[in-house]
Amino acid sequence: MSCETFHHSEALTLGVELELQLLNTHDYDLAPYAEDMLRLLCKIPLPGSVTPEITRSMIEISTGVCRNSGEVLGQLRQIRDALVKCADKLNIAVAGGGTHPFQQWHERRICGRPRFQDLSQLYGYLCKQFTVFGQHVHIGCPDADAALLMLHRMSRYIPHFIALSASSPYVQGQDTAFDSARLNSVSAFPMSGRAPCLLTWDEFSAWFDKMARTGVVNSMKDFYWDIRPKPEYGTIEIRVFDTPLSIERAAALAGYAQSLAAYLLAEQPFTPSEDDYLAYTYNRFQACRFGLDAIYVDPASGSHIPLRDHILQTLEHIAPHAASCGATDALNMLRGETEANQNDARWLRERQREEQLLAEVSRQAALRFRGAG
Amino acid sequence: MNLWTQWLRPSAGFPTVQWSLLLAAATLTGHLVQRHSGLPKVVGYTLVGAIAGFLGFGGVGWPLQGVGLFLVELGVAVVLFEAGGRIPLRWFGHNPMVLVQSVAESALTWFAVYQTMLWLDLPAAVASPLALVAMAASPAVLGRVVADTRAAGLVTERAIVLVTLSSLYALTLGCAQAELIRHPDAGWIGAAGAVLLALGVSVAIGLLLALALRLALRVMSPASENTAILLLALIAAGTAIAAHLGGSAPLAALLGGILLRQSQPRPWAWPRQLGAASSLLTMLILVLVATVAAQAEWSGPVAGAALALIAARLLAKAVGVGLGNVGSGASWRQALCVNCALMPMSAISLLVASQFVVASAATGHLIAGIALPAILLMEVLGAVIATIAIHRAGESAKPWSLLVGKSEQEQP
Repeated sequence: MSCETFHHSEALTLGVELELQLLNTHDYDLAPYAEDMLRLLCKIPLPGSVTPEITRSMIEISTGVCRNSGEVLGQLRQIRDALVKCADKLNIAVAGGGTHPFQQWHERRICGRPRFQDLSQLYGYLCKQFTVFGQHVHIGCPDADAALLMLHRMSRYIPHFIALSASSPYVQGQDTAFDSARLNSVSAFPMSGRAPCLLTWDEFSAWFDKMARTGVVNSMKDFYWDIRPKPEYGTIEIRVFDTPLSIERAAALAGYAQSLAAYLLAEQPFTPSEDDYLAYTYNRFQACRFGLDAIYVDPASGSHIPLRDHILQTLEHIAPHAASCGATDALNMLRGETEANQNDARWLRERQREEQLLAEVSRQAALRFRGAG
Repeated sequence: MNLWTQWLRPSAGFPTVQWSLLLAAATLTGHLVQRHSGLPKVVGYTLVGAIAGFLGFGGVGWPLQGVGLFLVELGVAVVLFEAGGRIPLRWFGHNPMVLVQSVAESALTWFAVYQTMLWLDLPAAVASPLALVAMAASPAVLGRVVADTRAAGLVTERAIVLVTLSSLYALTLGCAQAELIRHPDAGWIGAAGAVLLALGVSVAIGLLLALALRLALRVMSPASENTAILLLALIAAGTAIAAHLGGSAPLAALLGGILLRQSQPRPWAWPRQLGAASSLLTMLILVLVATVAAQAEWSGPVAGAALALIAARLLAKAVGVGLGNVGSGASWRQALCVNCALMPMSAISLLVASQFVVASAATGHLIAGIALPAILLMEVLGAVIATIAIHRAGESAKPWSLLVGKSEQEQP
């Protein structure tokens, strides 16, 4: 199995995938309704697609190819409204959030599709523990080499994406003290982490072929990297976002990623190197653990600065590119919340402090997802 | 020499010993049945209760009265309160076909059983109560099957709602009809007054129960054990008061659950806390129902009528569920499984039958003669059918060895 050909896509186009929670409306635990939702949704014409995920209480929605975050929001709104309508019919609820706050992993059921059954056979309980919910953002790249350059440049901003999207403070009924505990579930998989620092497609293809010869991987799908190239679509796919609690935030995060990509593509601000990854794991941990309160280690200078300040500086710096991408509103939203030190993880903790009942937190999260909370 | 009397202290008495041993045998049998056959524990409970009944166990009389009646009503009330809490009326606005499905299966069941009984030359005064007995499915049996299989999904939720609604109809109509039978000479106004009084008492107690819990939940967490105990205590008080004032305790609890659900959007977290207490009560009523039902006088014609009742009920519920399934969001395969999950009959049917037996001495023995064997048979057979349906719908936590083979069951 050799590396796929990198297909053409229009530079800086966007695609967004959201993994969502299906909840019963009785005690707001996860509910295995993915197949029922898909049966109802297939009768409604929608942009993008709706597909099952590894366990039966999850569902994934995807937009089509979009040009800006406004278009992403429009498509997500259309899909969200259809989801809510079908969920109402089945007496269930749909919610965002990177983890379900109190579900028990051993109660989950693996989806019946052969790929998921195979993964379950291989990974055992890790698959059921993988009932976590992420947002993936695809960004179109002009060519394969440009995709790898963008991938490695973008890796400096991984802590931004984690802190801004963090919405998984609770796992199995407990406060983890992390803002994004979801990524700890991903780390358990052997093919997780980050891509090798190879800057041309030829080098990458040669590396992939060697990996494939070992029999460890068959396709790009087998890599659960934080950012991975997606040759099939001609994109890079950023996978570290927790699914936010609202589609508005999901679209804003996509707008931020697109603006950053526009900046990196236009200004080519640095050449990536292996040294960029010296502090990568530490920065990633800081963002997961402390969210916007994390410390960011600049890989170039080694200086330590508050992540919040680094995000605000970056937002300021890329503002002209955001304007050209039509993402100014999206960045204003993120700037406002960053200045207020607010993210979804904080909102969930505030709700729990008020309600003292995680099931009620889930109910309110579901209301927020449908635009009523 | 008063050593003997000093040693033999006053105790709860022989009936307590009998019941304790019976429950111990039932729980052991239930465990063994599930472990070695994959059948629900309910089957074991019913078998032990039925054997005790056949052997002349005298722990409870027929028609139900006194402590036996209170225990059945209390157990059913707890089950129905929980079940009522799973009925969000808002859902029927989004999916009215579920309500259509419920009304269709219950109405058709009443009509089909009524006509079948008339066809068997039974008088209308017997056919009509039997039709109500058949209308009710068993939330207690279904609840235990769901707990045993750790089921979740569309079929499970839909079946719980339909079973609960059929109980609501059967209890309401049964309460009203029993009052009419009790007051044959009261005239329309007097009879209507008696019916309204009985239903009014049930509604009022349900309302008070919901109100009391709503107030309690302002200061108590629904996830706390104390809230669960408060809930049990209030339901027990409501059961005793309803019985005293001539209302229906199960109906009051069911309405209380529905009303609380509508007024309290916060998630229903306490069933997990009710835990062992609720399980014990449910097991008690399932054993008790089997014990009582097994005391029926069995004969060929009675068995034939009971089987005819079961067949008519099965067919009518299938048609009703099928009719209402169009546009309800469930597949036809799921509708079939929902129908199978509606098969169990148990305590509610027994309570409805008991009401009629008390209300009319003339027809009571005929009603009991057919109703009790049907209830006994469908408590055990219904549990098995419901279990198979839930497994077939793919909603149980694990596959069942009898259906898929031992090797597949043992896979991770």
